[in-house]
Amino acid sequence: MHYRFDIVIIGGGVVGSSIARELSRTTASVAVLERNPDVVDETSGRNSAVVHGGFAYDRGSLKAKLCVEGNRMMGALSEELGFPFVRCGKVLVGNTDEDLRTLENTIKQGYDNGASGLSLIDSAKLHELVPAVIGSFAMFSENSGILDPFLYTIHIAENAHENGVEYFLSHEVSSIAKKDGRHFISAGDDTFEADWVVNAAGLGAKAISDMLGIEGYKVIGSKGNYLVLDKTLGPLLPMPVYPVPSNTYMGIHVTPTVDGNVTVGPDAINTDDFSYYGVPADKMEYLRESASSLWPHINKKDVIRTFSGILPKWVDDNGKIQDFRIEIRDDIDSMAVNLIGIESPGLTAAVPIGRMVFSMITKRGQFRMKTDWNGHHEKPFRFSDADDKTLVCSCENVTEEEIVRAIHNPLGVHTLSGIKYRTRAMMGRCQSGFCHMKIEHLIERECGIRAEDVRYMRPGSWVLAGKMRECNGK
Amino acid sequence: MENRGIVVIGAGPTGLAAAVKLRRLGAEDVLVIERENETGGILRQCIHDGFGLERFGKSISGPEYAALLKSEAEELDIECLTGTSVLEISKDRTITAASPSGVVEIHAEAIIAAAGCRERSRGSIMIPGERPAGVYTAGTAQAYMNLYNRMPGRNAVILGSGDIGLIMARRLTLEGAKVSAVFELQDHPNGLERNIVQCLDDYSIPLYLSHTVTEIHGKDRIEGVTVSAVDGNLKPIEGTEKYYPCDTLILSVGLIPDNTILENAGVEIDPVTNGAVVDEHLMTSVPGIFSAGNMLHVHDLADFASAEAEAAAENAFLYASGKLDTGRNLSVVPGEGVSHTVPGRITGHGPFTVSLRVRKKERGKTVEVRQGGKILGYRFFPLVIPSQMISVDAEAAAGCENVEVIVR
Amino acid sequence: MKKIYTCIICPRSCELEADILPDGQVSVSGNGCPRGAEWIRNELSDPKRTIASSVLVEGGEKEIVSVRLSSPVPLRMIFPIMDEIRKVSVTAPVSIGDIIIRDVLSSGADVIATSSVLAKKE
Repeated sequence: MHYRFDIVIIGGGVVGSSIARELSRTTASVAVLERNPDVVDETSGRNSAVVHGGFAYDRGSLKAKLCVEGNRMMGALSEELGFPFVRCGKVLVGNTDEDLRTLENTIKQGYDNGASGLSLIDSAKLHELVPAVIGSFAMFSENSGILDPFLYTIHIAENAHENGVEYFLSHEVSSIAKKDGRHFISAGDDTFEADWVVNAAGLGAKAISDMLGIEGYKVIGSKGNYLVLDKTLGPLLPMPVYPVPSNTYMGIHVTPTVDGNVTVGPDAINTDDFSYYGVPADKMEYLRESASSLWPHINKKDVIRTFSGILPKWVDDNGKIQDFRIEIRDDIDSMAVNLIGIESPGLTAAVPIGRMVFSMITKRGQFRMKTDWNGHHEKPFRFSDADDKTLVCSCENVTEEEIVRAIHNPLGVHTLSGIKYRTRAMMGRCQSGFCHMKIEHLIERECGIRAEDVRYMRPGSWVLAGKMRECNGK
Repeated sequence: MENRGIVVIGAGPTGLAAAVKLRRLGAEDVLVIERENETGGILRQCIHDGFGLERFGKSISGPEYAALLKSEAEELDIECLTGTSVLEISKDRTITAASPSGVVEIHAEAIIAAAGCRERSRGSIMIPGERPAGVYTAGTAQAYMNLYNRMPGRNAVILGSGDIGLIMARRLTLEGAKVSAVFELQDHPNGLERNIVQCLDDYSIPLYLSHTVTEIHGKDRIEGVTVSAVDGNLKPIEGTEKYYPCDTLILSVGLIPDNTILENAGVEIDPVTNGAVVDEHLMTSVPGIFSAGNMLHVHDLADFASAEAEAAAENAFLYASGKLDTGRNLSVVPGEGVSHTVPGRITGHGPFTVSLRVRKKERGKTVEVRQGGKILGYRFFPLVIPSQMISVDAEAAAGCENVEVIVR
Repeated sequence: MKKIYTCIICPRSCELEADILPDGQVSVSGNGCPRGAEWIRNELSDPKRTIASSVLVEGGEKEIVSVRLSSPVPLRMIFPIMDEIRKVSVTAPVSIGDIIIRDVLSSGADVIATSSVLAKKE
């Protein structure tokens, strides 16, 4: 089919959806093209889920500016968009004189960037905050926090959709042609004709940038592996604990999640395979060993799962990591916004990035604002809201009603992982052993899909070969 | 909040047998709480026979065994709340549960926790590689086939030679799927010999001991596994990697007693079994909370879980009547050759029976229950294997030295 | 070819060595009693098994009902019996013990229902 939109955004992750949401304030027609069946399948759903303080970035950088803005607004945003966020603080733990100097410089850099709530704390205060940590002193960033990256991204996307943005999931862009000042984008079996194109494709951004004619960017993938620990460990880690990075030691973080799990990681290995998410054995062991010197509660018996994420880093010819690139290249295409290298702190900065792109576009044209834009998203329907509290997932206390509501989500995502990210079912210690079949059954029933057509995540992820006994006694 | 008599958590072979026994002993108010919408527990999906030889004198399937227990329970007018999951138990025996009518609170005079176990997952044994669809624990695959009429896949490899994995090897084969091989980490098979013969040998499915899956391949659906041989320390041997294509990986790598609700009550948990530490009365460290069946320690036969349930019922009834001798003074420690014991504590006031598993297969051994230099009980076994739980009776332990159980 | 078997008749679990000789006879050693020798001879000459499976249900609250054989049958009949099981369906309600296929393939064993399935409510 051939579609026509004023603005097409390529990439439906947290950044693309945030841009869509901001642009949905106007009366322009907006579409999001997302190559995966859901909006959280790549980097937006594979990260540390930390809301950063803004001290870790070079002075004057976009990363710093947008991170600090995002951090400041996160409390209000979580209320408006109904996703879990906890401003729990964070500590960067040190032991040596070199560490101390690094922390002093970090605090200065943070304040220069506009961050706040940064202080040096001694061992006593450190152990008051995180009794289980090993360390001599730390920098305490009291405004850092953690959020649920899945609900954050999904609610931003659903709100954009609610405000008129059309989502085209499972639409990977294969080519972009230009004619008469308009873009013709091929994605899936469809073509999209658009005045404006926004490249928010994350790991796919360099390829899209090339298609737009904006060539020459070097983007590497930084793959990070994580261990996920059982919720019984949550009480031992009230806030993220990071070691002070030095020249010789990257340091592995331990981070609580909003639900009480603990993640250990990430490490950081360069990769140019942006679709390989496997976690190797030696990395699992390295994570455990390395982080244990900081927080000695990482035992194999508490690991419930591993996962990995890949961050797109824009680097120069010497491999030095660059800032966010958010640009309009008038010499090549004055109706394309190009976002390159949106890695950490992209999650924290997603809404400020959205607003920045909104400004960049709207000041270049005649845009009318909607009078009925509503940026509010309900909190997710949870256990406490259900009348019938019969559980489908007993590890995470998820009722059938929650699952059914999640299946009928506004974006039309019908995968098992889609349900997982919206309800937390299958994320518990039994790792879907007891609820996988119940949820699959509900998807079949609610969506009228056959067993062999149910998917876990992407199109090739079939879950069942089919019925064992078919009607007509096969 | 409701005040009830004795509450049994779980309506599987353990919970139902406990409830039936309680009523037969004369307990007036017995309530069973079950999280599924039907009773029977894991028996509902165990359609193979081999159940009931001890308890009913005939070899029947899991669902038939469950049906017999269920009709006994119905005859005895035992109330059962289905669709009800225990969320939390307090030290004073108040149960908070999620039910079809919302959250309910029930205070119990005594509790028998018989909620079974869960399967060890791929994530928890940390198999490296990608995380595609098609990796199922054996119980999940079994539920898909036997309860939901769904085929998990068509070309499987099985990791783990525990009974569930062996049963599924046969089940998949009989339904037209290919099972290429079963790999077992240890140097001995984990399941019953009978199942090795009737699930693998009968269908020419090879069993490779001292092997494990060292990587899973496939982005969206599993495409194959890398398998390596392991050394005496169970570590993969470099250079022995072999690739086995498959579209399904079935994991039968261990059952873990699921004690979350007891942990929250402050019940002492045995770090080896992950079950509660109980005394010879099957009472946990929290007075009036008892445990039995797979939630306490994983059994080989449902019949034995039911028998243990009856022992728990006897003691819970005594407790509720104020007649149970308590006092957890002495530890029972697994010694040479023993991997775990139940009970983990004893009152020291009377004779007791120790259930245990040995660490390795041996012939012609004696299992001794000793206190210092004194032998409290012993039993000779022509053959001991880790996959077969055994028991030894012992006389009362005097004094305050701990009791040790060894294989000699 | 000589093979080791673990006898399952009693808890002694004797390790038997059995060898099928060219004339079809079976030589057994290691058995602690005559029952073990008899067991392995039967196992090797005409092993018998029971199996469990599922039969399609029409008009029931569940799609399938679990079934098993009422008595052991020769191992070689298993797959043919499975074919018969796959061909049939039963109409709800089904009760435990219902005979789904009587004397399947003249084996002397019935295929019996091992669980109940109620008819779907209108």
